[in-house]
Amino acid sequence: MGFALMTSTAEIEAQERTYEEDALRLDSGLSGLRIVRGVSDSVVLTVGIVRAVDVVRLVAPSPNAVAQAKVFESNYRQGIWTAALGVAVWGAAFAINHIGPNQPVPLGVTITTVALVSYGATRIDTAKRALSKAVWWYNRDLKR
Amino acid sequence: MKSRIFLALFASVSVFGVGAQAQANDHPAKPVATSAASAGTAANGSRPPTATDSTRAYSSQALRFESSWGSADIIRGADGPVVGTVGWFRGFDVEKLVESSPRALAEAKNFETRNFRGSLVSTIGAATLAIGIVVASNSSNSASSPILIIGGAGAIGWGLHRINTGYAALSKALWWYNRDLRADLPPSPATVAHPTRDSNQR
Repeated sequence: MGFALMTSTAEIEAQERTYEEDALRLDSGLSGLRIVRGVSDSVVLTVGIVRAVDVVRLVAPSPNAVAQAKVFESNYRQGIWTAALGVAVWGAAFAINHIGPNQPVPLGVTITTVALVSYGATRIDTAKRALSKAVWWYNRDLKR
Repeated sequence: MKSRIFLALFASVSVFGVGAQAQANDHPAKPVATSAASAGTAANGSRPPTATDSTRAYSSQALRFESSWGSADIIRGADGPVVGTVGWFRGFDVEKLVESSPRALAEAKNFETRNFRGSLVSTIGAATLAIGIVVASNSSNSASSPILIIGGAGAIGWGLHRINTGYAALSKALWWYNRDLRADLPPSPATVAHPTRDSNQR
């Protein structure tokens, strides 16, 4: 009986320890999104703009988290690059039009830029929502 | 004589049977406890009953936030309801939401302070920057315009950084809140089957 009580107490302590050590949370810094682990706040993943990150592998123990991580991965970088392309198109048009005679940027280019930036931002938004869910599912499915 | 012997035998068997039944009734929980304990032990390999309870509590109550377009929705559960929205000058009381967890409460206070100051300073910075741009557009010789532009941009930068650290605090607040959901585990079936920590000591 005492052994069973000790076992169940150890189980609860192990659960607390596991959550404190392994549970993830999202943080945003100057370098982009960061995924931080545990009470020690150790950064396990920095989601930058250029380099692809393997969020799926990080949350692999939880199938629901993996599904959301895939949504994140398929949207985040594409969203960033689409928005960046929009800005680059406008910047290029601005530069070309100011090399020679000073002309305004054509309206079509501006509209294209706005469309690309909006589309990119929407995808980034979708990605961030999915990442939030992925972390939530991962923490939920942690060893208990 | 034989009939008396049979009667005596029958009586003794009856008394023994009733006695055994009474003995069983004295400890009705024991078989249940044993079966529950063994079930718990057996389940330890795959999915202990504590996990089910903990998961249920976590699934129904754990919070997370989704940030978008300068604000953040605090959501309960994976696809649960939005319990509040925080952001630029939004007055949602995060402290009250997470007050059950002391650590979460401290982080929520951090978030609210930083978010308010960050919002205030970045708004003032944006206004200053806009004034600087207007002044620069109207009179190129004005000495105040670069000061206004640089000061405004600096204030925006500081404010956004403050807001950013505020969201980090919000993230921590929700993390601690969710962690304390886990710590407040309901008694596991194994513990229920052996609720006798006191009785063990007795």
